[in-house]
Amino acid sequence: MTERDLKSSNMAKAKALPVGHYRGLGVWNFFFMVFLYAPIAVLIFYSFNANRMVINWTGFGVEWYIKAFNNEDIQDAVWNSLIVAFVATGVATTIATIGALILARGGNFKGKTASLGLMMLPLMVPEIVTAVAVLIFFATIGLNWGLGNVIIAHITFCIPFAFMPIRARLEGMDTTMEQAARDLYASEWETFRYITVPMLMPGIVAGAMLSFVISLDDFIITLMVGGAGSTTLPVYIYSMIRRGLTPEINAVSTLLLLFSVAIVTAYWFVSKKSNTKTVH
Amino acid sequence: MPAASIDVRGVSKIYNPGSQQPVKALDTVSLSIADNEFFTLLGPSGCGKTTLLRLIAGFEQVSGGEILLFGEEIAHLQPSQRSVNTVFQHYALFPHMSVAENVGFGLERLKKPKDEVVSTVKRMLSLVKMDHLADRRPSQLSGGQQQRVALARALAPSPKVLLLDEPLSALDLKLRQTMREELKQLQRETGITFVFVTHDQDEALAMSDRIAVMSEGHIQQIGSPTEIYEHPVNQFVADFIGDSNFLDGEIIAIEDDIVTCKIGSESVFEAENSGNHAVGDQVTLFLRPEKISLTHSTDESTDNHRRGKVSNIVYLGNEAAYTVDMGDGISLMAQARPKEDGNLPFAIDDDIAVGYSNRALRVLAK
Repeated sequence: MTERDLKSSNMAKAKALPVGHYRGLGVWNFFFMVFLYAPIAVLIFYSFNANRMVINWTGFGVEWYIKAFNNEDIQDAVWNSLIVAFVATGVATTIATIGALILARGGNFKGKTASLGLMMLPLMVPEIVTAVAVLIFFATIGLNWGLGNVIIAHITFCIPFAFMPIRARLEGMDTTMEQAARDLYASEWETFRYITVPMLMPGIVAGAMLSFVISLDDFIITLMVGGAGSTTLPVYIYSMIRRGLTPEINAVSTLLLLFSVAIVTAYWFVSKKSNTKTVH
Repeated sequence: MPAASIDVRGVSKIYNPGSQQPVKALDTVSLSIADNEFFTLLGPSGCGKTTLLRLIAGFEQVSGGEILLFGEEIAHLQPSQRSVNTVFQHYALFPHMSVAENVGFGLERLKKPKDEVVSTVKRMLSLVKMDHLADRRPSQLSGGQQQRVALARALAPSPKVLLLDEPLSALDLKLRQTMREELKQLQRETGITFVFVTHDQDEALAMSDRIAVMSEGHIQQIGSPTEIYEHPVNQFVADFIGDSNFLDGEIIAIEDDIVTCKIGSESVFEAENSGNHAVGDQVTLFLRPEKISLTHSTDESTDNHRRGKVSNIVYLGNEAAYTVDMGDGISLMAQARPKEDGNLPFAIDDDIAVGYSNRALRVLAK
């Protein structure tokens, strides 16, 4: 969610009629939460199973975590995932920042609305379509850079995710600050360096975190594009399942989940801080 | 005549030129602001006063004409190349910098030596009595404190002219009145030309050396506060500054300084002749409410005595505003102080005497 979405949902809350008095809402809510989180709870629970069969509980143990940490294939996959996520995030965030600046500050140019639409379109394109398209594209031009192919593919779908919070932040920033800087003898570059970038930073950080998580969790495109030696963690987990279910999968999945949740939580705090900052 | 600090020569500004609806914000405006002057651009919103300020600052480009700063043409320079600084309406303090960093920003960009930056920032902050809060962030300051920091930041690079864009409009009434005095004092101490934009006539009258009253992209009148208030050149200026009674009529006789006018169907008023008028001209007479004396019995000290009936009273505390029905479809607004015991001197429907001097009633050109 972008800052703007958060704000508008807060406003909607203030205006909405209180629905708490409807009977049965609590029960309904309970089942909804069970539906959402029970599978994840079960996954985490069985990651501490001492038995080598996933669904046969015989006692508490952390041996599967130890085993996962010592598995060199998993270590390689984690390493690949992190490289892809860091590089893709860096490049995608840079491109998204430049794009957002041009769209918000570039004045009215021909094709502005179309550019905005094209920037956001990858969010709507089914992932399998993107995956097949990228795969065929790489095959056609004969690009075979292994992990590089995966990184390029990740950059393409990370851009809109990085773009959204940066653009939301820019929309909320009027140009008065930049005018004040220009008035105080700052050149255009100094204005950008000392005023625009620092004020935009919360949006950039939020965009980077969002695209990092999206890249880290991606499966379909990575499976299609990645060849041997460029296996990322999600793809590796999938291959483990095909070899048989052990609590090791649960343990790795739980760790991946924790990592993602940590980043999303950090993102939430950053965007919340930037929200309060603009109100003074 | 001393060198003008700002010379605006035939400046026009048209927004969206060439489009379906071009907006003419300024129409060949000319004015000259003297060095060390506290000059106010006064007018209702949309009159072009802020546009003129932004043209001087360089945030907008002129559509025609030229702007001189101490004789140097600046209309086509970047804002960073003009030795003028702006205090913005909502201050525009940089939120990610401390108070001291904000004030030092302009000096750093001018590549001043480090110790000079530090000492100037210190001097500026003590000038606006903010030295104790140098390490705060703008978001930790009250509106009045932010206002002071914005002033210090704009004054720190010692600009030749300081531009102020309605800087007091976001403050509450008490603070606004304090800041008026401080601004005026600051201008005297620094000796820098202030160009002040406001829609508040009280602010303009209280602080300015000279005022330019603007409306619809034109300057209506330029003059000292007393000139503007006492001798408005037209009905717009008279109406915009202070309260006024306007009487529409026709000149029926002119004798020396006195113009005799017929108002309504049969009432005759005598007024001071303000210029080239001829018998038969349609004119508007103008009379400030405070120039009218209301008494129970005729006040012999005034030139003109009439009688009227109180039709409305608005109590304002220190005084009361009376509407007096003079008959013949004419009504006048006037003021009276409450009596020593706090009661109002007249009641609704009282028949009272209305007096004013010949010089108080003036003829405005149509």
